[in-house]
Amino acid sequence: MKTGTLDLLRSRITKIDAMPTIPVILRPLLRCLDQPVEQIDVNRIVELVSYDKTIAAQCVRMANSALFGRSEPVESVRTAVMNLGMWRVRDLLFSNSLSQVIPANRWIVDPGVFWRHSLGCALVCRKFAEILGYPDTEKAYLAGLLHDIGILVNSMVAPEEFRATFAKATREQIPLDEAEQATMGFTHSDSGRVLADAWKITPDIAQAIELHHEIGDPGSGGPLVAIVHLSDLLCRLRDLGYGYYEPQQVDFANEPGWLYLVMHFPNLADLDLARFTFTLDQYATEVGELVSTVFAT
Amino acid sequence: MQHPSVVIAREQPSVEELKDPGWARIRDLIYKVSGIYQAENKFYLLVSRCSVRMKAVGARTPREYLEFLTARPNRDAELRDLLNEITIGETCLFRSQPQIEALRKVVIPSLAESKRKLSYTKLRFWSAGCSTGEEPYTLAMILLEETQSTLKGWTFEVVATDLNDRSVAKAQEGIYNDYAVRNVPPDFMKKYFTPSGSNFRVADSVRPFVTFSRLNMLDDSKMLFMRGIDAIFCCNVLIYFDGKSKARTVQHFYNALLTNGYFFLGQSESLYGINEKFRLVHFPGSTGYWKPGESAPKGGAA
Repeated sequence: MKTGTLDLLRSRITKIDAMPTIPVILRPLLRCLDQPVEQIDVNRIVELVSYDKTIAAQCVRMANSALFGRSEPVESVRTAVMNLGMWRVRDLLFSNSLSQVIPANRWIVDPGVFWRHSLGCALVCRKFAEILGYPDTEKAYLAGLLHDIGILVNSMVAPEEFRATFAKATREQIPLDEAEQATMGFTHSDSGRVLADAWKITPDIAQAIELHHEIGDPGSGGPLVAIVHLSDLLCRLRDLGYGYYEPQQVDFANEPGWLYLVMHFPNLADLDLARFTFTLDQYATEVGELVSTVFAT
Repeated sequence: MQHPSVVIAREQPSVEELKDPGWARIRDLIYKVSGIYQAENKFYLLVSRCSVRMKAVGARTPREYLEFLTARPNRDAELRDLLNEITIGETCLFRSQPQIEALRKVVIPSLAESKRKLSYTKLRFWSAGCSTGEEPYTLAMILLEETQSTLKGWTFEVVATDLNDRSVAKAQEGIYNDYAVRNVPPDFMKKYFTPSGSNFRVADSVRPFVTFSRLNMLDDSKMLFMRGIDAIFCCNVLIYFDGKSKARTVQHFYNALLTNGYFFLGQSESLYGINEKFRLVHFPGSTGYWKPGESAPKGGAA
C-alpha cells in the first residue's frame, strides 16, 4: 500500500520541473558529518564558512550575539568558528544551505518556524541518541534535521493544495500529516522520502524521513526511526513545533517507539524524562537565536 | 581586583558569569532536594535569585555559596531560604498559560469523556497548598467558563487547602492587587472581578464554587479523608518536604484521585524517583501526572 503511494508520488513529482535540487555546499557538509565532531578538521570548516560571504557574516554576527557575546568583539571568521564551536557552525551551515533549497517566495510554512522545528529536532535527536548510547549520534542529528524536507517538496510541487492543507491543520489544530493524508492523499513523510531518494541520502535516514509520523512496527524501522519520531513529538510539545497549538496528551513511556528503544537501550529505563523535557527549553532559546541569525540577512 | 565570577545582585548577569560551572552544581542540588529544575536558558534567573542569598550570607562565588548549602551547620535553613527566593512571585492568578491551555483543551475534555461514560456530571478539583487563593480561583473561573461548552450542564467544586491559617483567611477575602491579576485575560477580568478601591475582588459568581480549609498534608488521618478528586494541583509545596514525607504525601494524592485523574506540580517540578504509579504525561508546553486504570498497560520509566 505504502510502496504504491510512493511510486505514484514519484512519478507525479518527476513529471513536474519544480523538485528541489540539492544545495552545492551540502555534499561536502554531509561528508564532514561522516566523522565524529571532535575529529572534524577546523580548517576545513573555516574554509567552508569563508566560501560563502553570507554564512561567514552570520557566523561573526552570531559569535557577537547576546548568547555568546564576550567583552572583546569577534571579527575574524576563525575566531567566530572557534567561539561558536563545531556544532553551532554546522547548524548554521546546514540551515543556511537548506534554506536556499526553495526560492524565498515559495515558502508556505514560515521558514523561521520550519528551521526552528528542524534544527530543534536535530538537536533533540542527537541528545536523545547520546542518552541511549546509540552509536551514531551524528546520523541521528542529520535525520532530525532532514526529517521534514517533504514540506519543501510539497511547497514546490503542490503549492495550492499544500497551502490549503496547512491552513486546515492550523485552523483545526490537527497534526499536519493527518491533514495532508485527508486532503492530498499523501504526507510530507512520503514526499520527503521521494526527495531523499532523489538526493541519494543514506537509506536509513531516508527511512526515518518516511516513517517519522507513522512508525508502524518499530522493529522494522530500527532505532533511528524511533529516535526521530519521539524527538519530533517532543519538539512539538516544547514550543519547537509547526507554529500552531496541537492539543494532545502524550505518555511517552507507552509510545511504541519508546517501548522498542527501552528493549534495545536499557539506559532509557533510567532516564529522568521530566528533567530531559525541561532541558529542551534551553534548545528553544538556542535554536531561536540561530534562526534569527540566519533570517536576519 | 575582583574575581571574575563574583556575583552582585543586579538584573542581568553577564554571559561569563553564567558560564561558571558552580551554577550547574547549585541547579543540580536544587533539583535533587526539591525536584525543581532550571534549564540553562533560565540560569540568569537562578543567578539573580541566588545572588540575593549570597549577599545575605556573604558568599562571593557560586562555589563558596554551594558550601553554605551543603557543608555549613545551618545548611537546611539556607536551602529553605533559597527555595523561598526561587519560588517567590510565583503566586498570581492565571500563572501558567501552557497549563491552563492544557486544562481547557485536553484535560477537562478527557475527564468529561471518561466521567460521562459513568453517567457522572460533576468535577472536583483540589488545590493543595493554595496559599492566598490565586490558584483555586483561577481553576474555578476556568471551570465556570467551560460550563458554557465542554461542561454544559455539569457542576463542579474546587477544594482549596493550606497549612497556614493566615493564608486561608486572606484567600477567603479574595481581594488582589494589580500585580496578582496581571496575567488574567481581559474577558475573564471583566466577568469574574469587581473593582475594590485600587484592588480587584473575586466576583460573587465564582466564590460559591471554592471551599477553603486548613489542612496539614503531613497529617495522615486528615489526608485519608480526601477522596473522589478528578485533578489535584500542588505547586511548589512538596519542594520543602524530605524524600519520605514527599513520597507519603504523593501516595495520599494518588489515593485521593479517581481513576484517569490528573496531578499537577509547578511548571518545572518533577516527581522523578518519588512515585512509580503515576504516569508522566506531556501536554504542549507543560507536563502532568496521570492515574491510570488497573488494566492500563505498564510502560517503561516515567
